[in-house]
Order: sequence, then C-alpha cells, then structure tokens
Amino acid sequence: MSNNKPSPIEKIKTSSKGLRGSLQESLQDEITGAVREQDHALIKFHGMYEQDDRDVREERAAKKLDKLYSFMIRLRIPGGYMRADQWVAAHHIAGNYSTGVIKITTRQTIQLHGILKHQIKPTLKDFNAVHLDSIAACGDVNRNVACTSHPSESPIHEEVHAYADKISRLLLPKTRAFYEIWLDDEKIAEYDETDPLYQDRYLPRKFKIGIAIPPNNDVDVLTNDLGLIAIIEKGKLIGFNIAVGGGLSTTHGNPDTYARLATVIGFTAGEEKTLKAVYEVLTIQRDFGNRSDRKLARIKYTLDKMGVDAFRKELEQRCGFELEDAKPYRFTERIDRYGWLADDKGNWHYTLFVENGRITDEADVPLKTALLELAETGKLIFRFTSNQNLILSEIHPEDKSLIEKILQRYGIIKRDEAISALRKNAISCVALPTCPLALAEAQRYLPSLISKMEPLLKKHSLEEENIIMRMTGCPNGCARPYAAEIGLVGTGPGRYNLHLGGDREGTRLNTKYREQLDEEAILTELDKVFNQYNVSRSQHESFGDYMQRAIL
Amino acid sequence: MLAEPKLKILAEFISQFNKEELIWVNGYLSGLVSEPLKVTPAISNGANGKKITIAYGTETGNSKKLATDFASKAKKSGIQTKLVSLDQYKLTELPKEEYFITVISTQGDGEPPVAAQKFYDHIHNNGFKLPQLKYGVLALGDTAYPMFCKTGEDVDKQLQYLGGQRIADLQKCDLDYESTAEQWFSTVIQQLQTVKTPTPVIAAPPAETKKLAGKLYYDGIIQTHINLTANGSSKKIYHIELAADGMEFFSGDSIGIVPENDSLLVDQLLQLVSVDGNKTITWKNETASIRELLVSKINISYLLEKSVKHYAAICGHEIAVGKTDLLSLLKQYPLSKPALFEQVVEGLTQIVPRIYNISSSPAAHNGEVHITMLRDVFTINEQEQTGLCTQFLENKKEGDTVRFFIQTNKRFRLPAPEKDIIMIGPGTGIAPFRSFVAERDSTGAVGKNWLFFSENQFTTDFLYQTEWQSWFETDTLTKVSLSFKNGSEHTVSLADKIVTQGKELFEWLEQGAYLYLCGEKEPTGKAIEDALLKVFQTQTGSEASGIDYFENLKKQNRYAKDLY
Ligand code: SRM
Ligand SMILES: Cc1cc2nc3c(=O)[nH]c(=O)nc-3n(C[C@H](O)[C@H](O)[C@H](O)COP(=O)(O)OP(=O)(O)OC[C@H]3O[C@@H](n4cnc5c(N)ncnc54)[C@H](O)[C@@H]3O)c2cc1C
Ligand SMILES: Cc1cc2nc3c(=O)[nH]c(=O)nc-3n(C[C@H](O)[C@H](O)[C@H](O)COP(=O)(O)O)c2cc1C
Ligand code: SF4
Repeated sequence: MSNNKPSPIEKIKTSSKGLRGSLQESLQDEITGAVREQDHALIKFHGMYEQDDRDVREERAAKKLDKLYSFMIRLRIPGGYMRADQWVAAHHIAGNYSTGVIKITTRQTIQLHGILKHQIKPTLKDFNAVHLDSIAACGDVNRNVACTSHPSESPIHEEVHAYADKISRLLLPKTRAFYEIWLDDEKIAEYDETDPLYQDRYLPRKFKIGIAIPPNNDVDVLTNDLGLIAIIEKGKLIGFNIAVGGGLSTTHGNPDTYARLATVIGFTAGEEKTLKAVYEVLTIQRDFGNRSDRKLARIKYTLDKMGVDAFRKELEQRCGFELEDAKPYRFTERIDRYGWLADDKGNWHYTLFVENGRITDEADVPLKTALLELAETGKLIFRFTSNQNLILSEIHPEDKSLIEKILQRYGIIKRDEAISALRKNAISCVALPTCPLALAEAQRYLPSLISKMEPLLKKHSLEEENIIMRMTGCPNGCARPYAAEIGLVGTGPGRYNLHLGGDREGTRLNTKYREQLDEEAILTELDKVFNQYNVSRSQHESFGDYMQRAIL
Repeated sequence: MLAEPKLKILAEFISQFNKEELIWVNGYLSGLVSEPLKVTPAISNGANGKKITIAYGTETGNSKKLATDFASKAKKSGIQTKLVSLDQYKLTELPKEEYFITVISTQGDGEPPVAAQKFYDHIHNNGFKLPQLKYGVLALGDTAYPMFCKTGEDVDKQLQYLGGQRIADLQKCDLDYESTAEQWFSTVIQQLQTVKTPTPVIAAPPAETKKLAGKLYYDGIIQTHINLTANGSSKKIYHIELAADGMEFFSGDSIGIVPENDSLLVDQLLQLVSVDGNKTITWKNETASIRELLVSKINISYLLEKSVKHYAAICGHEIAVGKTDLLSLLKQYPLSKPALFEQVVEGLTQIVPRIYNISSSPAAHNGEVHITMLRDVFTINEQEQTGLCTQFLENKKEGDTVRFFIQTNKRFRLPAPEKDIIMIGPGTGIAPFRSFVAERDSTGAVGKNWLFFSENQFTTDFLYQTEWQSWFETDTLTKVSLSFKNGSEHTVSLADKIVTQGKELFEWLEQGAYLYLCGEKEPTGKAIEDALLKVFQTQTGSEASGIDYFENLKKQNRYAKDLY
C-alpha cells in the first residue's frame, strides 16, 4: 500500500542540515535521557540507536521514572579488521561507559550498549583517539562493508579485503556533522559538504555490501543489497561478479514483504570499474527506491520493480561501460575455521568461538579479560566474522606459543574443543532487552535451547553434522535465519516460526515449516525431522538439502 | 512545663492534699488563669509614652504572627512600637532598648530558630551588660518535645543575667498558644500603661486541657507506598500517600509523625532487664503497661544527654555522654536489679515528632497528603542502622494507618498566581515543590516556575521525573536545572549550577520572582545559600550590595527556606 506521500523520515533527512538536526540541543535537554523526536532518526546516521531497557519499563513507570534510555553504538569496521591497540581501547571504553559487554555483530563489527546520553561524547572521543568511528554504521546509507574474514581462504585475501575499506570510504556521507557534534571539531568554513552521492535525501533505506571469496560464503554474500564475489584466475584477482537485490527482512502479515537472495547480474574487471559499478548501484537505488513506504524501500524491491535486465541497462548507462557476463564460481560452505590455521605467508590465526558474539567474562571462561591480555601482547590483529566469532590474526610463527599459552591458561582452547558442531555454527540476534523491535528472546535464549537440542542430535547420531541454525527475535532477520538450515523467527513471547530447508552454502533460502511453536513443540518437531533425516538421507546429503528434497 | 525548682515546691505542696482537695485546687487554679493577672505596683520613674520593641524569632511563622498582632495592639494603645525579626535586628541596639519583648520558638532538640541563632549567640557571649533593659519573653513550643520552650527559657534567663529586668514572667506556650499569648501580652500592655515601673507579670502554666486542641491528629490510611529510586541506587526514597478525613493544609505545609519503637526491640529490652512488660505504670501523666509506653511513647532509640546522665546516676557508672540508645546502655552498663529499670524510664523523654514536607497539593491530589521520605541510614561502630521514623514508615504497608498532625508553615507559601517562582530543592527538598507546581498546574496559575534539583544518579534518583516532564511539556514548568553526580567526581554541583545561571536567576528576581530553598542543611543547604550570595554579589557589583540584596529579599518575604 505505497501511496506516493514521502515517509516522515524523508522530510527529517532533507531538513537535517547535513544530519545535524537538533542533536546539539538534544544533548542539552537535562530532563530526559532521550533525544528529540526527529533526532531519533538522525542519530542512526551517526552510528547510534536510542534504546530503552524493556525489562524495567513497568517498574520504572510505577516509580514515576522515565524509561531507562540509553544508546547503542555500532562502530564502522570494514571487513571486521581491528588493531590490537584499538581492541584495548574498546575494552576500556566499554567498561567506562557501557554495559561492559562487547557485542560482535553479524556484519563483522562491534556494538556497545547502555551508553547514557551524557556519555556519548566521551565514548566517541575515546574511540576517535584510536581512529575508530561509527559514521554511517546505521541509517539510510551504506552500512559496514562485510568481507570474507579468514586470510587463509586465499593468497589474494589481503587484496580483496582491501576493497572493504575502499568501498566504505568511497560511500561515506560528506557531512562533517559527526566531527562537529560529537568531537567538538570547529566548523571548517571552506569545507564543501555537497554530497553528489547522497545529496540531501540520502538513500530510501539502509544499504549493505558484502564481499566473498569462494568457495567459503561465510559472509552470506547473497543476503546483501549488493554482493561482490571475487573471481580469481591463475591465482590473480581479475574482478568481481556483481550480485544485486539481497535482503532478508519480512514483516509478519505483510505479504508484500519477502526475503530475497541477490541476483548475479554481471562481472566487472579491475578496481576502477568495480568501484564505479558499486557507486552507481547506489545512485540507482537513490533515484528509483521507494521513499514512501519504508517496508518496501530496500533495493530488492527496486530491482524486482524494474526487472533485472532494465536494472542492468540502467547501471551500464550510468557507468558508461557494459557489464561482462558473470563468471562461474562455486560456494561449498559457510563456516568459520575454528582453531589454529596458517595462511600461505606462514602467519598463524586462531578462530575463537564467541557465543552470539557476546564478549564478557563468563563464569567458565573470563573471555573479556583474556582478550585484553592477548591484545596487550600487541602481537596479533582482531578479525570479526559474520558468524559473530573472533579470529586472533596475523600471529607470527615465533609468537604463536606465547598466544597459545595465554589461550591455554584461560581455558579457551579446551572450551572451544568441547563445543558441539551445532553451537559452533549457530548465531542469534540481540533481541531483548535492548532491541525495540523484538517480539521474542534470541541471544538470551538460544544457548539453553541448543543445550536441549544436543541430546536429540546425539540420539540420532547427528552430533558431528555442521547444521546451520539461526534465531532472531522478530522477522527482520538480523541473524539471517531465512538463510539457515534451521531458522527460528520470533513471533511473540516464547513463540517461534520454524523454517527449514536452506542450504549449507547460503544460496537457497529456507521455507516456513511450522508456525508459533513453543519450546516443547520446537523440540518435538526437530526430533521428528532429525530422525527422518538420519534414516533416509542419501550420502553426504546436508540436513537442509534433505529437508528441501524429502519434506517440504 | 514548670522549671525544676518550682515544680519541686508545687509537688511538695500538693502532696499534702487528698483527691477531692486536688480537684478543688485544680478548679481554683484554672479560675485564676482565666482572670486577668494581678499587677503589683512599685516605685515610679515617671516615664510616659514608652518605646517598645517587639522582636520575633520564627521558623514556621507562628511567632511572627503573634508578634505582629502584639505590635498592632500596642500601637492601638498608643505605645510607640517597633516590630522586627531577630535576624534583621541590629544587635548594637540592644543596650539602648528600653522595653524589649521577644517572641521566640524552639526548634530541633531545643535549639533556636535559624533566624534567631545570631541573636541567641550574641546574648550568650556575655561581653556586655544590659542594665536598663526591661524585657519580657514569650516562648513558643510544643510539649511533645522534651525540651519544651528551651530557647525561650534560655533567652529569658540570659537577659536577666545580663542585668535586664523582667516586666513579665517568661510565658511558655504550647501549640494552642493563641489565648495564653493574648492574655500575657494584654497584661504586658497594662503594665506599660501604668505610670509605675512594672513588676513582673506572673505567667500562666500552659493549660493541659486545651493542649489536645492545640494539635489535631489524623489517622491517615496509606494509599500508596513506593520506593521512588530504581535498582542500583544507593538510596531509598519513599513516596507515601496518606488519605484522611477533614484535613486542611496548604502547599508548603508539613506533617509531623510520632514514630513507634520496634516492639521486638522493646521485648528484647524487657527480657534483658527481666521486667514484666505488662506491669502498669504512670509516666508523664500516662498510665499504661510498661511495654505499651516503651513502644509508643518513650524514646529509647537516641537518648538525650540528660537521659544518659540520669542513667549514669542510677547505675553508678561514669558514662561519657554521646550518641547512644537505651539497649546499648543496658548492655554496656547492666542494672544491678530489675527494680531500677522503672527509675531509668523516669529519666527518659518522649518520642518527638518527625517532620516531613507535604509533597502533594490540596487542589491536585484530592486532599491527600503525600510525603517524600529518605530512608535515614547511619553507622554506629560499623553497624548500619536506620532512623527510627524512617524505619517505622518503611515497614508500613498500603492499607495501614499512620497518625500524624499538620505542621503549618506560614512562611513557606506560594505567592500570587501571576508571580514567578524559583525553587531550589536538592534531594527530598523537592517535596514541597512538587506540591507547589501541582497546585499551580491545577489552579492555572500563570507565573513562571523554575526548578533546581540534585541527586546522585540521573537514571535511578530523579524524583518524580515523569511528572516534571509532563509539567515541562505543558509549560507549567518553565525551566529545569539539574545536577547529578552520576558516580563521577568532576560533576557540576547544584551550587555551581546556580552560579553559572546566576545572570538569568537574577533577572527573574529583578522581575519580582520569589525564591525558595528546601532540603537538608548539611551539606547542600549551606553551599547553596553561599552560591546565591555569590550570585547577588557579582550581579549587583559588590560584596556589600550583594548582602543587602539578599537581606532585602528576606525583608520582602521573597526568600523562604525550609532547611533541616
Ligand atoms: C546487531 C545486529 C544483530 C546481531 O546480533 O549481530 C542487528 C541488530 C539490530 N538490527 Fe538488524 N542487526 C544486524 C544485522 C542485520 C541483518 C543481517 C545482515 O545484514 O547480514 C539483517 C538482515 C539483512 C537485511 O538487512 O535484510 C538485519 C535486518 C534488520 C532490519 C530489517 C531491515 C528491512 O529491510 O526491513 C531492521 C529493522 C529496520 O531497519 O527497520 C533491523 C534493525 C536492527 C536494530 C538496530 C533494531 C532497531 O532498528 O532499533 C537492532 C539493534 C538491536 C540491539 O539492541 O543491538 N535489522 N539486521 C546486526 C548488526 C549488523 C551490523 O553490524 O551492521
Ligand atoms: C522542617 C523539617 C522538614 C523535613 N522534611 C523532610 C522531608 O520532606 N523528607 C525527609 O525525608 N525528611 C525530612 N525531614 C527530616 C525528618 O524529619 C527526619 O529527621 C528524618 O526522616 C530522620 O528521622 P528518623 O527518625 O528516621 O531518624 P532518627 O532516628 O531521628 O535519627 C536521626 C539521626 O540521629 C542520629 N542517631 C539516631 N539514633 C542514633 C543512635 N542510637 N546513636 C547515634 N546516633 C543516632 C543519626 O545521625 C541519624 O541520622 C524534615 C525535618 C524537618 C525538621
Ligand atoms: C523540627 C522541629 C523541632 C521542634 N523542637 C521543639 C523543641 O525542642 N521544643 C519545643 O518546645 N518545641 C519544638 N518544636 C515546636 C515549635 O517550637 C512549635 O511548632 C512553634 O509553634 C513554632 O513556632 P514558629 O512558627 O514561630 O517557629 C519543634 C518544631 C519542629 C518543626
Ligand atoms: S531480528 Fe528483530 S529482534 Fe533481532 S535484533 Fe533484529 S530487529 Fe531486533
């Protein structure tokens, strides 16, 4: 039902004076921990979300206290690559201003929650001191660019990975508002803020770019608005297949919304053309995207409205060159390579399991403390994966034993080895209590559900299977549940839709199998299908493929 | 009620009477009381057209009201009269005074009102004599307090010691002071009108029978009982709503509550001294079981010096007078035999009322009384303890009944609806201002309202936040200035805030705004008054002019404070 009246957000954007709005005033409002109405939308462009602790709403209302407003800050970390000293800083910033938990997201960056309004500036200043920012981490702009994370995936990993940063910087908004508002930088008179890409309207909606190096599709490249698939011939990177129109979110009860995997529309050779194509895909979405109904504003809808061919033509016209036909490629898996692994340069990398990406000191393993000590050695690099895990990276052979010792001392290696395949491949979104859109629990609940599923898998002797399971607290799909072999999508407190039949490598979406299940129902349903899979699967057939073939 | 020696004489004297005789004497005495008191003539100094100064020391305005009545009466009777508040009184004038009448109340544990402190200290630094001073003291007090009219007594004694000459005996008044005071003063006037130099008027004892009328008690039923602070706060601040019939109060008034002791503690105590709690005794004209009295009448939680001394005498120990409670005494210095306990009880004082500012408005909260109470915690030798009344009220539940009386606060009132007000209420000091703004909101007063408030943490301790927000959104609340520590050392204190906003604050005052301050004396109250003075000094250009400005505000009754 998209009438042509622009959505309210559009007005806020165009009249925002370069994303400044009344943020300065909002910071001065002493009587509330929130920002003003319009700034609520604008602050996202600065990488922050206003939230409130939903667990305590009623209690505080009775106490005549306002909602417990705080802010979630999401950093911009292209390709999830972070220096050790930056991690040390993040560790302390989290301790000083936020809940203390550092959350690795499904797009390879980190988030801090629970930052109070008066703490935002100190937080961002401290991040800035180590050259980290949150510009455009959220909002109707290009988001954090994701990229295949493990250097051992390919000798040209570094070269491909560099694109994440190039693209991120290419697509940054031109406004200096971030520096003025949060870092108290002086207005630069001669600085020209005119923004040829975003103009004053920005995009109709968020925009996401992912880069994958086949055969591992760990970034879920096809779920992005724009996916780049690295094409390598004779050990050289020759260019990228361009995939457009990915996007997962649906809205319960809104048939016009649907999850969609990106369509590969062609190939671009070399850096210049690739970056040009990327840029123009955004301008098309800027000019053709739906600006009246935000539920139908992602590029997947723009693409389907135009048709793939029309879209490709429009793109070629804007680029001033033709796209080559897509090159053959093949994804075979979508996993993080746990434990120690060396790359072709001889450097070592340790992939570490982080349940739901929540880094904090747990009773069994004081992970946060351990990571601080590891970072303080200065002998490694942090890489975040799209599965919310962490790679301790670029460890020179002579430093390996030092790192190994620390990992041993904190019991991390022992713990990682003990973790089931199901748990290792599972991810979940944040959901309650911070996410305002959550209908059900996710990251606070998934661990215990998995504990109840493990015996089932054992019972059907499937405990070794790398089944990919993902849970979200609502249909927005932040943990990409529609691209999982088992997807659980929250519909209400304690209730989930069960999706089955996605493939292991992330090239086929799953289908809704059962609705509104509570825990008991989830477990009985899974018990059934695990059993069928175990008895009647064909050799090497993945759980997802079997479900697709036999049941759905 | 009577000074110790007089009481003794009286006691001895009446010990000879039987019941019937006593009753007769009682009637006879009250007869005397209602007659105008006799005046005994003495030597003349031929002085006519006398000058009289009436100075009052007040906290809640009662003394002022009386003094003002007196002044107009005196003028009517052709006496040249000067009326002055003791904090405005030029102390250097004192030696020149001829006739000097003081109306003064007692506060705290027998302390002078804040406004009278300077005067009180001055006369006690006996560096001087007042040979020709002829004076009279009217003391306001409340027999609910052990040190009844202590300040009046002190002033009366001291002025005599300095060589002053009474024209009237010290008159102590209980809460029903009107008639007693009237009478006392009319006789004083008669005195001045007689050509002869007067000899003292004999004061009437505060009349027992009228006492109850003096203080109207209500049985309030608790409607709501919530802790306003959220999880993670270091404080407990309770919002308690009381409903009772026939209450009359104004925004700015307070209530008084006489807490009870914890009955378990009392039993523990009785067991320790192995005394039967059911035994009936008479204590300060109250006859009931020891247990009952110890629970509801007698202060055992925080003993006055005199009680401790009394105890020391009985158990024959040297006891350093300091903050302590009865149980600790009994444990530390056991009594040799149970019988002594009753003597100990004799030396104890009654539980005094605790005062709480009313945080509700008559207009907005359908006549309910709300209070905002900070749980008072303190530590005695590493042991955390809770104050008697706050503990007592904390343990109450919704539906329970609480006895209280209304403590009018005539000096702490809203101005005319069109006047602007500036309210400075750190911590629980915010209570009367919730009442103010609610009242102005529901009566549609057009004056601007500016609130200053401070607490520990923004997220957990912002008292009545949502109410202030809605008043702010609807423009009833014009401006808010807040200060929260938020667990960091470098925060702007409320006093700093006042200074930094000094210019605007001054502008408001220049446009006739009224200034209010409420909350705990220490440490905030003092710091804030200093800050205000600083503002006036910077804005008026000099130290002296700043001081004058502040004094003028007080003179014009545009500055009212309720510090505790
Ligand atoms: C942190 C993260 C989940 C996680 O546990 O890792 C996340 C968390 C949130 N997402 Fe998401 N999304 C996250 C990845 C995703 C993904 C997965 C992906 O991008 O690979 C999706 C599905 C793919 C897609 O975009 O279609 C996703 C689709 C959404 C949507 C639906 C967008 C739409 O097209 O309708 C919303 C709601 C919206 O934007 O209106 C949303 C909104 C949100 C918000 C900001 C809720 C809100 O709008 O107030 C969540 C904040 C919760 C919190 O308290 O932190 N998030 N979100 C992920 C952060 C990624 C990043 O670093 O940028
Ligand atoms: C005019 C006025 C208005 C007021 N308004 C408010 C208001 O709006 N809100 C509010 O919360 N309060 C208000 N107060 C304060 C209130 O009246 C009480 O004083 C306060 O609640 C403490 O009472 P309590 O009985 O709990 O503490 P108490 O038992 O009276 O103890 C008070 C203090 O005495 C000391 N003490 C007590 N017992 C011992 C002991 N055994 N040994 C050593 N030291 C001891 C401690 O330092 C303790 O902090 C007001 C006071 C006044 C005078
Ligand atoms: C906190 C407080 C403490 C008091 N302490 C005493 C006291 O120790 N002795 C006494 O006789 N009256 C005491 N009173 C009673 C007052 O003196 C009495 O209310 C008097 O009418 C007040 O007069 P004012 O309004 O002129 O201050 C106290 C009142 C309050 C509010
Ligand atoms: S999927 Fe829904 S509940 Fe989960 S984080 Fe995203 S928006 Fe929140």
